[in-house]
Amino acid sequence: MSRGSLKLFLVLVMAVLAWAVPVAQANEPPGSVTLAVLSYRPEPVMQQRYAPLAHYLSERSGIQVKLAVLDQEAMTQAVATNQADFFLTNPSHFLVIRSERSLTGVLATLLRDWNGQGTGSIGGVIFTRASRDDISTLEDVEGASIATPGIHFMGGYQAPALELRSVDVDVRRNRNVIYLGNHDRVIRAVLAGDTDVGFVRTGILEERIEENPELADGLKIINKQNLRGYPFQVSTRLYPEWPLVSLPHVDSRVIRRIASALFALEPDHPAAKAAGLAGFSPPADYQSVEDLARTLRLAPYDQAPRVTWVDILHQYRGWVITVAVLFVSLVFTSLWLGRKRRQLAFEERRQRELIAGWPQPMLMMRGNELVDCNRASVDLLRYTSEASLLGKGLMAFSQDSQPDGQTSSQKLDSLLRRVQLGDTASTEWVFVRSDGSDVWVEMTLAPVYEHGFETPSVLCSWYDITLRKEAEERMRLAVQVFDNAREAIFITDAHGVVIDTNDAYRQITGRDGKEVIGNLPPMPVDEGSAILVAARKHGVWSGEFRSRSRDGSRLVLNLTLSSVFDDKQHLSHFVGVFSDITRLKESEKKLRTMAHYDALTGLPNRVLFAERLHQSMAQARRQKYQLGVIYIDLDEFKPVNDAFGHDAGDELLIEMGRRMRAVLREEDTLARLGGDEFAAIAVNVDGGMALEALLDRLLETVVEPAWVADHSVEVSVSVGYTLYPQPEELDADQLLRQADQAMYQAKRQGRNRYCRFSESMS
Amino acid sequence: MHRRHFLQLSLAAAASAGLAGCSRNEPLRTGVHPWIGYETLYLAEEFGWLPPTVRLSKGQTSRDSMHGILAGELDAAALTLDEVLRIQAGDVPVKVVAVADVSVGADMVMVRPEIDRLEALAGQSIGVDLAGVSGIMLFAVLERAGLRSDQVSIVNIPVNQHLEAWNEGAIDVSVCYQPTASRLGNAGAVRLFDSSQMPDTIFDVLVVTEKAERKQPSAVEDLVRGHFLGLRHLVRNMHDAVYRIATRQQITPETVREAMATVMLPELTANRRYLSPGGRVEIVAHRLGNILVREGLIEQSPDIANLCTRDYLPGSLS
Repeated sequence: MSRGSLKLFLVLVMAVLAWAVPVAQANEPPGSVTLAVLSYRPEPVMQQRYAPLAHYLSERSGIQVKLAVLDQEAMTQAVATNQADFFLTNPSHFLVIRSERSLTGVLATLLRDWNGQGTGSIGGVIFTRASRDDISTLEDVEGASIATPGIHFMGGYQAPALELRSVDVDVRRNRNVIYLGNHDRVIRAVLAGDTDVGFVRTGILEERIEENPELADGLKIINKQNLRGYPFQVSTRLYPEWPLVSLPHVDSRVIRRIASALFALEPDHPAAKAAGLAGFSPPADYQSVEDLARTLRLAPYDQAPRVTWVDILHQYRGWVITVAVLFVSLVFTSLWLGRKRRQLAFEERRQRELIAGWPQPMLMMRGNELVDCNRASVDLLRYTSEASLLGKGLMAFSQDSQPDGQTSSQKLDSLLRRVQLGDTASTEWVFVRSDGSDVWVEMTLAPVYEHGFETPSVLCSWYDITLRKEAEERMRLAVQVFDNAREAIFITDAHGVVIDTNDAYRQITGRDGKEVIGNLPPMPVDEGSAILVAARKHGVWSGEFRSRSRDGSRLVLNLTLSSVFDDKQHLSHFVGVFSDITRLKESEKKLRTMAHYDALTGLPNRVLFAERLHQSMAQARRQKYQLGVIYIDLDEFKPVNDAFGHDAGDELLIEMGRRMRAVLREEDTLARLGGDEFAAIAVNVDGGMALEALLDRLLETVVEPAWVADHSVEVSVSVGYTLYPQPEELDADQLLRQADQAMYQAKRQGRNRYCRFSESMS
Repeated sequence: MHRRHFLQLSLAAAASAGLAGCSRNEPLRTGVHPWIGYETLYLAEEFGWLPPTVRLSKGQTSRDSMHGILAGELDAAALTLDEVLRIQAGDVPVKVVAVADVSVGADMVMVRPEIDRLEALAGQSIGVDLAGVSGIMLFAVLERAGLRSDQVSIVNIPVNQHLEAWNEGAIDVSVCYQPTASRLGNAGAVRLFDSSQMPDTIFDVLVVTEKAERKQPSAVEDLVRGHFLGLRHLVRNMHDAVYRIATRQQITPETVREAMATVMLPELTANRRYLSPGGRVEIVAHRLGNILVREGLIEQSPDIANLCTRDYLPGSLS
């Protein structure tokens, strides 16, 4: 084999062995491990102190322990790259490392020794130059410039920071903090006056003072704690000492060996003395250090707050969602409620406006008081403003009692009670206006169910029925009149057929309403229905006519028939009013008779005679015949009167009158002018000769004896006459005077004769 | 959070704001004395975790606290359970609001080396402070040994006098605790029995008078809360706490650590368990009451039913 190939072969073998050996040595502890120690003091110092420890561990455990003194960054790096197997650092830094990679945990905790007194606790020292009188308490550190090894130093930063925080001095916000990397530099900075205050861990000052005793006077400790049994000066609370930590990649056998070596270290061992240790104790509980970092929000807990919120949200997800849902539904409900309320307010306003503007009076009552009313109601009661109405009850505008007899309050109460139960009530009511006058209304009360009120409010509407009431009153009176009139009243339709009659109708005609209704009313015989036509044409017809009552007796009625028109000016009815004037007529006739006839003899009297004479004269002229006017006077009447009394005289006159009347023709007139004087008109005589024949008969009849008062008497007459027409026009008086004068002539000629008038007599 | 709960809380907050005004005048006077389990309150005071509503009244021994409560000068105190029962029997109704610690070995029976088992206690003269927790210890031991109290000779002397009595030979058995126990050990005594053999029996508790509870409930809350904050520091910051306790009690940190090893310090959840109705504290109190009555130390059984309350335990420590 050539040298080159042998070399190659050896290299190969070496390589294989080099690879294989570690594997083979898996069963045996490796050659060496590295213990990284934090350089909290300058490297030479650290080397001097801890090299013996490394040596001890190597011997004791049988594994070579190499010491590496590193600053924080380098240590973190070394740990990250597995270049260290164990590390020893301050608890705060340990936490940071632990958060960055998982570790098997703490193997042991350091026990420091100082003059025979051991402690497993570490704290922070806050110090300043002794000459600084202005800084003596924790509060004085506020705003001062501070020198510190670094943030991740337990005693050199975090412990002092917490103490200061408890007096509200926030070191983190202090901009005058300088980070120097190790404790020695801090002491130097403070001594040199570069900073006011320095933070170091416990024990440092004691070590330095041991080297340089004068240092003690130059420095002053702030907030010095009095802790019996604690070997060092301290300004803060105490925490567990440095942990010695193994990394996961280290073999467990190695760990055990190193651990047992650690725990076997006695305080009097040179290695311990060199490092100033009392040994190692089982791992302490570093919870307090964790709490410290958490409180100060330093790494690894500086990110915590930001996570917290989301964390909480996530943790209480269910509650958050429930609350959110409830909140949203609350918001929606509020919005909906708000809308409903607005709607309601709108409706109510509309209702109010409707009522306010309604032309009919409308009011709203709540309880017994008016709470709302419109213009029309105010006007009805003749007030000026709504204020006069509101707040009062209806009783304030009413009389004590209503026309139907009930007391107003009782009536109103019963009405309102009905309305409260849900009914609508309607009634007539009399209100009193502001000026005291009455006004009739038709009042309707209705319940209105309003939001927010238990019992319904009352909507009250009034309808002015004063006119109607007056009309009713008039109607009532009219009916009274109709029913009670003495005159008969009947009402017909447009054709004259009777539809209603009153009592007096029945009394007068003897016919009941039932018999009459459907028939025509009593009408004049000759005109009949023409009177209806006349009534329609002229509006009214009136007249008298004969009629018969039911039992047949004659009646004379004077009827006034009026036509009645409807709104459209069409004839709708006739109204007839008549009274029974039969008696009246008879009286008239009697009076007329009395006015024209002599009561004793029954002959026409002077008045009638004059009338007749006029008529006869007119007739004679018209028909061109002659008439004779005769004046008759009884002879020797007076002696009869005197002898036998007036009654006998009357009898005589009656007898003579009868006799003479009998002589004359029917168409002639015989009248008694008074006393014993008579006159006669003989119509249509054919000259004086004819008339004289008549007069002869007259004389003969008078001369016959008459039996009066049980005596027989004989009388005679003197007659004068004149004829008409005469050549000159005459009136009745003149004619009669002529006849009279002729009669005197007859009397002078010896009585019991007749004499014709002649001009010589006048 | 339930809305109702929220409302209750806000109402309570509003009300308590008003109530706080009522009780602002008087702080809750709390009697404490040096004992590792009560260090929590001292620490709370030191670090400002006790609000002005609570004021610690620092005595020398538990007797100071007991007398204070009975005399009405104290509203609350840190005492052992049997002391609490004695107070209750003294017609001052109190309520247990928290368990500070449970003895595990703190109380012990030191004996002459020849006495090698409990039954051998019969006929011995036993030094014990009947007024204190040691009395309970003794009776529990006797009970366990199957002995009646008249089968032994009881020498009722305070613990700090036991060493002298031992040296004089007046007692062969001492029921005591540190530091007497270690001193007796130096004088040749051996430990026959300790409270670690009867776990969950000797409770050191915080009590408040019912009157104070009525008047200042929020102050009671502050007290209990302060205790638990102190406890948290004691446990989590033990590296700091030991030195402070050592300073206060004028002992070495090592002694402090040793003392801490003899007690259990129950946290909130354990407290809730202990103080629950029908929980350990009630059961033990009942038994203790019977013992006290039987031995004539109190006249009648105190009211156990309403002794414990969990109302003042904080929901969380923030």
